[in-house]
Amino acid sequence: MGEILQLLVYGLVTGGIYALGAIGVSLVFAILRFAHFAHGDLMTVGAYLALFGITTLGLPLMPAFALGALLTALLTVAVDRLLYRRLRRNGAVVLLVSSFGVALILRSLVQLVWGPENLVYGTAIVPPWRLGELRIRPVHLAILVTGVVLVTALHLFLTRSRIGKAMRAMADDPDLARIAGIPTERVVVWTWLLAGGLAATAGMFLALDTRLNPLLGWNVLLPVFAAALVGGIGNVHGAVVGGLVLGVASELSTAVLPAVYKPAVAFAAIVAVLVWRPRGLLGGR
Amino acid sequence: MSLLEARGLRGGYGDTDILRGVDLVVGPGEIVVVIGPNGAGKSTALRALFGLVRLRAGAVRFDGHDITHRPPESRVRLGLAYVPQERNVFPSLTVEENLQMGAFVRRDDIRSDLERLFELFPVLAERRRQRAGTLSGGERQMVAIARALMTRPRLLLLDEPTAGLSLRSVDVLFARIAAVHREGVAILMVEQNARKALAMAHRGYLLVGGANRFEDTGPALLAHPGIAEMFLGG
Repeated sequence: MGEILQLLVYGLVTGGIYALGAIGVSLVFAILRFAHFAHGDLMTVGAYLALFGITTLGLPLMPAFALGALLTALLTVAVDRLLYRRLRRNGAVVLLVSSFGVALILRSLVQLVWGPENLVYGTAIVPPWRLGELRIRPVHLAILVTGVVLVTALHLFLTRSRIGKAMRAMADDPDLARIAGIPTERVVVWTWLLAGGLAATAGMFLALDTRLNPLLGWNVLLPVFAAALVGGIGNVHGAVVGGLVLGVASELSTAVLPAVYKPAVAFAAIVAVLVWRPRGLLGGR
Repeated sequence: MSLLEARGLRGGYGDTDILRGVDLVVGPGEIVVVIGPNGAGKSTALRALFGLVRLRAGAVRFDGHDITHRPPESRVRLGLAYVPQERNVFPSLTVEENLQMGAFVRRDDIRSDLERLFELFPVLAERRRQRAGTLSGGERQMVAIARALMTRPRLLLLDEPTAGLSLRSVDVLFARIAAVHREGVAILMVEQNARKALAMAHRGYLLVGGANRFEDTGPALLAHPGIAEMFLGG
């Protein structure tokens, strides 16, 4: 029982990280109608930009993370302005393939600047808190709390703010959004800012929990997409649920399966959802 | 001076032109109705006025500005509003959010306009927190029209507002459109219920084959023997 509970905690942390990535994938899909394959590598870039803040600028962890998220968000918008915007008329397939190219470019740049070896943020090793049999690492608690805060903030943004409502309107019907006089390009910029910032946060959390590596984000792209699909692509709340379900399922699987099969859980989840509930748990498009 | 003036519109979506020379003029505070057989290009003409059709020739002037090449957003700012026939509400947004989206281009306080429109469409006030996708066809049309009115337009373009509605809803909706007009909004609409629409119109256009065929006052069109026989169901 204790072991299961412990895996559950790990699962929630992993799931929270997946969820932050999956929200961006879902938002981009809802508003721009294409699967953004560079999302994993945006996570990587975010993690390394935070490292730049810590080692080069000598910032403490939190400001470095904020800087990493901000710079990644701006970089994501720049990629859209330079590339995706010009290809928008050419359809979803062209955008998808071009995002593959962006993924490779970003990954190569990271490797060029920081090298292929594993790196760490160099935070002090803090012994875990004990709650009976349960061991909770402070960093895990921080990840979970920040995740909850970010998701709550995003929910409020989408339901209360003008731009947030316009994002939902555009996800509903981009043509009508234009007809209603909504400046759709501005909505697109906001979408990329949020998606990029959240991806960076997911990447930094993942690096904090494990270590930095140029393949950091690429390696979790499959579970991140699976989370978006499981929750219902295009549905932000679904992405959160999908992320948590997938994180918990993949950690719990290690109780019965060798850990190398963890990625298979994501595959299994995609297949299961596509067969039995193609619109996802919470319903997407 | 006319509020809207479209001259010699030619164009369409692909290689073939749907519009082959359409002229439409609407004066301030006028109700103008466009009738014609299926495939006459009525809806396309309306979409062209809003910049949603590729025009090869012709010009659209609104309130003295040449808007032929302006994007929809800038037309909205000038006081032109368009309600498409279908897919004209944001289904996952509430009624109130739909209206707020109509007012996106505005920077001032929209609360008094919200309340004014809820008075004009009382049924929407009851449903303001309900998702637009759950409403009936007639209610959706009212949401769509109210959304378009949130910018305080001078001219409202309506594409077959009563299509698919029950007879009772048609009458309710026409009564609401008349009320909107009484507030000083000019209306240009394409309408299947040509008889009822012409009865409230100042002027009407008959389009055939993507071009103007006939133009007269509403009563004259209603009384015209040929038109009554061909387009008003005898």
